[in-house]
Order: sequence, then structure tokens, then C-alpha cells
Amino acid sequence: MNRMSVKKILVGLAGVCVVLGLLPQLTDSPYMMHLLVMSCINIMLGLSFSLLFSAGLVTIGAAGFWAIGAYTSALLVTRLDFSYWAALPLSGLAAAFVALVVGLVIVRTPGVAFIIQTMVINMILVQVFGHFEVFGSWAGILDIPSPNPIGPLVFTGKVGSCYLVIVLLLLNILAFYALYTSRVGRAWSAIRLNARLAETLGVDLFRYRLAAFMISSAGAGLAGSFYAHYFQSLEPGMFSVFKSIYVQIYSILGGLNFYIAGPVLGSLIMTFVPEFLRVSKEIEPIVTGAILVGLVIFLPGGILSLPERMRSFPVPFLRRKKETRFS
Amino acid sequence: MPLLEVRKLTKHFGGLSAITELDLDILNSEILGIIGPNGAGKSTLFNLICGFYAPTQGRVTFEGENITGLKAHRIARLGIGRAFQATTLFMKLSVFNNVFNGFHMNYKEGAWKSFLHTPGARREEKEARQKVLEILEFMGVAELKDQICHNLPHGHQKIVGVCIALATQPKLLLLDEPLTGMHSEETSKMLELIEKIRERGITIVLVEHNMDAVMRLCHRIVVLNHGRKIAEGLPKEVSGNPEVIEAYLGREEEG
Repeated sequence: MNRMSVKKILVGLAGVCVVLGLLPQLTDSPYMMHLLVMSCINIMLGLSFSLLFSAGLVTIGAAGFWAIGAYTSALLVTRLDFSYWAALPLSGLAAAFVALVVGLVIVRTPGVAFIIQTMVINMILVQVFGHFEVFGSWAGILDIPSPNPIGPLVFTGKVGSCYLVIVLLLLNILAFYALYTSRVGRAWSAIRLNARLAETLGVDLFRYRLAAFMISSAGAGLAGSFYAHYFQSLEPGMFSVFKSIYVQIYSILGGLNFYIAGPVLGSLIMTFVPEFLRVSKEIEPIVTGAILVGLVIFLPGGILSLPERMRSFPVPFLRRKKETRFS
Repeated sequence: MPLLEVRKLTKHFGGLSAITELDLDILNSEILGIIGPNGAGKSTLFNLICGFYAPTQGRVTFEGENITGLKAHRIARLGIGRAFQATTLFMKLSVFNNVFNGFHMNYKEGAWKSFLHTPGARREEKEARQKVLEILEFMGVAELKDQICHNLPHGHQKIVGVCIALATQPKLLLLDEPLTGMHSEETSKMLELIEKIRERGITIVLVEHNMDAVMRLCHRIVVLNHGRKIAEGLPKEVSGNPEVIEAYLGREEEG
């Protein structure tokens, strides 16, 4: 980060503070507030997916680590009387620890094997949370309190939650941005672009992949911790593989090569648009599936890749047809 | 003491033996050429030295240290660099960033400091950027630094590959067919560059099919056939060796 980008970050932070101050004036509808909070959570999950992707790994297990964060936080606060502010970092650590243990095995087989294994881990986690009494069985955990107030700041209502989640999200973005611009981020990108070459440059593939898996899971865990105390109840069904696939769509829709802007844009669209279209819950998965298929075929680079695509293909569809006519 | 010592190196793939009981010495600051017909085991030898394959038998010693069976990134850290054939670059990145990635193991500040962007880490990064420019300058491709590798002509891609390997600051540089697909002008430029690299004290081993170039450039030549060393010596000695001629052209009765 040179001086220019430090300046940029300061300007960005100032802008964010203004937006934060204006937020309650912007809308007083609790419904809109709720959507904003949900999209922030989704952005954090998308960021976690994209971080792993930046190291060349694809996960369909983000919701599993989200669940670990949520359950850790909920259990610590309801059963052991922890303060929320102690439970929050611990839930991130718990998710990272689980990622470390399973990662020691699954990170050794990147590619399709890794994808399938993350999916299976997600399924197993849901079963574990549903099966054991400690985790509240299938009924889940109820009456999870809101985060403890800090002095005059309270986090019970929608407005308080909104502020809290935005601050968490910004910290998350800042940390990930610092990673991407560090030599760790460069090593990840080297692994993603050409693992063989990265190895001859001295990059320890296993360690860097494992670190990516742990950090990505920690991010999802933190999002889970907030989610548990915002929603105030948990049940295993919320954290199914289905949610992991949604997380994947957030990042792909926004643009896989944009590790921060991609998930932000994708999650906002995927949270707000279905609500405004009033799509009923039953057919929503069908629409989402159609979006994913459409994306992979027509816009694999996501929305943010559009400007560049427009430049190289002035008439994208005509051009495509011409090229594929005889194939 | 030779820089790299290979003793009784053997590699089997299933029932196929790609390298059989190979002995090889690489001396300090020489340019060693490894030649042989297709399938002679040249690439396998490179993959064994830089740690992509673990040998079935035998040992490899680098600067007196046993490196047999070490992982590729550990071997890279000891100072063995490798330039692949052209297709192995970070194709989507600019030339500058390709070489910048090569600096991975030369950072002394830890990953945490780099993450926190401490003054020390930033200074080190700045120095690395400076060195990238120096390498690009040295190899005569400085004006390409902002080009995406994917868009470069083949010859330039090869040079970028060597630049990346140089960024790792190797003591021994393995070049895998550095001249393939180059026209004569590019070839003579590449030969000059390789000679310049050696003058910096870097030992070079290259696998190459362009006999003319190998004969002109290399101090010593090793000839492999069917995974065995069939000849070794000065370019002149090797080119006159009947066994070598036979390996390349076949025996007369067979024709």
C-alpha cells in the first residue's frame, strides 16, 4: 500500500462515516433495514468464498463454517454467560480451528476433490448440530440475546444491528484488502494462476492453501456470530449446502476476479432483487438456478467483467454466433 | 566439489524406467547442455532435480546437502531456479507482476508484517519492485513491463519465463528448451542473454534440441538415451561420438 492508496482508504472511510450517519434518515422502514443487514451478512460470506477462490480453491461449504461461528457464539453466550464481545472473536477462531483440522486432510487434494469434500463437511456439520442435544437438536437454540451494549451504544433494534454489521463488514473488507495487497495475497494469486510455477518460486502450496482455508472460514464464522445474535434463534436447517451454493452465486454474479467488489455487488443484488420481484419462496431456487446457469454460459466473469467485455466484443451475441457456427 | 551431484539416480513410472542409474556432476559457473532424442529422460531429470518427482532410487546433492525427495518449494529455497517451456507463466498477469511474483522467497519481513503493511515491509516491497525493473532491464524487455503475458509473442514469453526464474535469485538455473520455436534472430539474442546470466555467476543447465546453439553455447554436454548417459564431454568430443550419432540417426542396418 503506497501513500496514494492510504489516502484513498481514508477518503473511503470518511465517505462510509457520512453514509453511516445518514443511514437512519435514509429509511425508517424496518423491512429495508432488515434487508440491508442480511445483505451485509451475505457480503461477508461472499468475501469468504472469494478469498478462498483467490488461492485457487472453490468451496461449497461456506455455510458450514458460518454455522460453526453462529453456534459457537450462541452457545457461549446462552450456556456459559460469555459477553458477546468475547464470543465474537472466539467464534471466528472456532471456525478457523475446524478449518485447520479438516484442512490438514482436504487441502492436499485441491480441485474437484476439495469442492466435494467441503460440501460433505457442510452436510456433516448440519447433521451434527441437528443430532446432538448440546447443540439444541433440530429445534435449534432459542432466545439468543442481542449483543451487550457498550456504554451508550445499544444493539437491540434494527438500527443498532445495522451499524454493527456495517462496522464488522468494513473491518472484514479492510483486513482482506490488506491481505490481497500483501505478499500473502500475491502468493495466493500465483497459486491460483499456476500452481506448478508458484512451487518453483518457493511458495509452499500446502501452507498457503491451508492459511486461505482458515482465514476464509474465520470470516464466515464472524458473520455467523453476528447472525445468531441478530436473528436470536438458530436451527440447523438454515445452514444447509443450499446456502453455500447461494454464497457461490453471490461471488460469481458480481465477478470472480473481483475479490471484494464482486461479492459486495453480487450479494446486494441477490438479497434485494428477489425481494422486490416478490418471487415466492417456492420458486425462488428455480430462478436462482437459472441465473447461475445463465451466468456460467453467458457471463462467466460476472457483472463487473462487463465493461471489459463490452470493449472487446462490441456486439457480443452476434460475435459469439459467428465464432461457434461451425463448431 | 561440484555444485550439484547426481548419483545412481533412477526413476520408474510403473514398469517403465525413465532414468536408470544416472550419474551427473554440475560444476560451478558452467553452462551444461543436456541433449538426447525425444523420450531420453531429459525432462524427467529436470523434474527430479527440482522436486516435482521423487526418485525411485539414488540421491541428489546440492552444495553438499542431500536434497533427494524434498518438495519443490524447499528445493527452490535452496537456490535452484527453473524456467519452463513458454506455456508456464502467469498468463493473465502483466510482465511486471509475473517477475514480481518471483520474489516470493526473498522477503525477509514476515507475512504478518506484510499483512499489516509495516514501514519495513513496504520498504522491502519497494526494493523488490526496483529489482524487478532491473531484471527486466538486464534481459532487455523493460518496455514490455505493462503487457499482459498472454498477448506476447512466443519469444518474449520465453524471456519472461527466464526473468521470473532470475527473480528467485538462483545459484543454479535449469532452462527447459529455451530456444524452441524461436527464429534465428531471437535465438541469437537468447544465447547472448544466457551467456550474460552466466557471467553473473549463475550456473546454467539447459535442455535443448537446437544442436547448433548447444554446440556453440555449452561448455560441456551430456547425452542421454533411454534414460542412460551415453556420452559426456566437450561439444567437439560429443558430436564425434559414434554412439551419439547412432542414438540420433539410428544404426545403419535398421535403416
